[in-house]
Amino acid sequence: MMSWRMLVSRLAPLLACLGLLGIWQVGALILDTDSFPTAIDALRAVPSILTDKESLINILASLRRMAIGFGVGVALSIPLGLMMGRSRAVASFFNPLLMITYPVPKAALMPIIMLWLGVGDLAKTLVIFLGVSLPVVFHSFQGARAVEEKMLWSGAAMGLSAGQRMLRIVLPSALPEILIGCRTGLVLALITMITSEMIARQSGAGNILFNALDMGQYDTVFAMIIIVGAMGIGLDAAFEQLRKRLVRWSEPRFDLPLSFS
Amino acid sequence: MKGRALTSDVLLGIAPIALMIAVWQALISFGYAPATLLPPPGQVFMRLVRQLGNNEYQQDIAATLFRLFAGFAIAVVLGVGIGLAAAASPAVNAVVRPIVRVLAPLPKVALYPALLLLLGFGHESKITLVVADALFPILLSTYYGASMVEQKLIWSAMAAGTPPRQILFKVVLPAAMPSVLTGCRIGLVISCIVVFLAEMITSTDGLGHVLVTAARTFRAVDMFVPLITISLLGLILNGLLQWLRSYLLRGFPEV
Repeated sequence: MMSWRMLVSRLAPLLACLGLLGIWQVGALILDTDSFPTAIDALRAVPSILTDKESLINILASLRRMAIGFGVGVALSIPLGLMMGRSRAVASFFNPLLMITYPVPKAALMPIIMLWLGVGDLAKTLVIFLGVSLPVVFHSFQGARAVEEKMLWSGAAMGLSAGQRMLRIVLPSALPEILIGCRTGLVLALITMITSEMIARQSGAGNILFNALDMGQYDTVFAMIIIVGAMGIGLDAAFEQLRKRLVRWSEPRFDLPLSFS
Repeated sequence: MKGRALTSDVLLGIAPIALMIAVWQALISFGYAPATLLPPPGQVFMRLVRQLGNNEYQQDIAATLFRLFAGFAIAVVLGVGIGLAAAASPAVNAVVRPIVRVLAPLPKVALYPALLLLLGFGHESKITLVVADALFPILLSTYYGASMVEQKLIWSAMAAGTPPRQILFKVVLPAAMPSVLTGCRIGLVISCIVVFLAEMITSTDGLGHVLVTAARTFRAVDMFVPLITISLLGLILNGLLQWLRSYLLRGFPEV
């Protein structure tokens, strides 16, 4: 009985995927227009994109830019956020600047950055880096601010230096919050990646997607949407695995539904 | 004493912004950047002030704000509604949870071409995109907030004879409010970002369109103006939400 339940809950996301594709299929059959191919048609176009060498190179180039932007962004943002969380001066120095830049869509900086750096990899990676940084900084900031003073005091009493306290006390206890920020950052990195390529129209997955839209190759449009969507879901699932392993100790019990009866 | 600490905070906060503008000006004054690529800050702010008084630009702002508010409002209603329902009923939870797990990490901008083909180039496709992007942070934080509500509170309400439907709105929702509002704040920032991007991709009005037209004609000054405007709009809206938060959460111990 239990294993049957486990099986269903394991398969639930897959069932949800199939259900959504089913709704798409039915919707497309009802609407019956050229610009909205059925799910089966779109899925059929996926292998031809993935076996085409040029598209594959484009998609891999996109992923590489995203990985670099995400990696550098996370590596720089976590220390900054932690310092902001522990030092009032650092926080009040950076906070207004971040407040101003947060609602600016980073991909919208693309036209300006393109003027300075050209349309190459550097401009796109920089934009992804900017997009990833802010949520990671904010969540690290929140996480570091919520660290219990007592733990830091006992650390100091036992002779840990400021740097050691940061690394051994603040970082681990802020980690759950930091990882939430990284997850948001990952989704934003994908969004920024697609939009920056759509604006720069030179290479990458976004370029294939919007070129197909301009040329009216609707099968390709929807197949690319499936590919990009699968990329998002796959990356998120992989990150979730990593997160679970790192912060298993802090997992709250979400699975208990509220009881009303 | 507290007042002085606050002023020194403000001064510290202004410093990096002032520094940034100074570096910006210096880059031009010392000839590192030609004015066609990086217009001087004074010129940009003058243009901003002039544009804010310009009727056409005001209409662009109005179009952007309309899409932003419509999308954000729908996302809040749907997100809070579905989030509460999922926290309260195991049956809804079983359906919503896997769907959210699949849809939440999907980069919604990639859906925009599909939305364009289905809904056309007008308001509808952009509002739908804003809803799709702002919905999930609000939904998830409502759900987490509502499922963290202390069971004791619900039991006491039930013991006092409150019907289940009212418990949801009189106990669970208020108790989950801090988390809901945090989600709304993230949703608002994302709405700002997404509405601008959607307008950049295809549109005939709105701030994103202003940026794209400026970029196509290489008018660097006009490229900075809509960016600063959306940043100001985001700040103002964030301030309003912060005010709403301190009003709604006035009974809570720490905000």
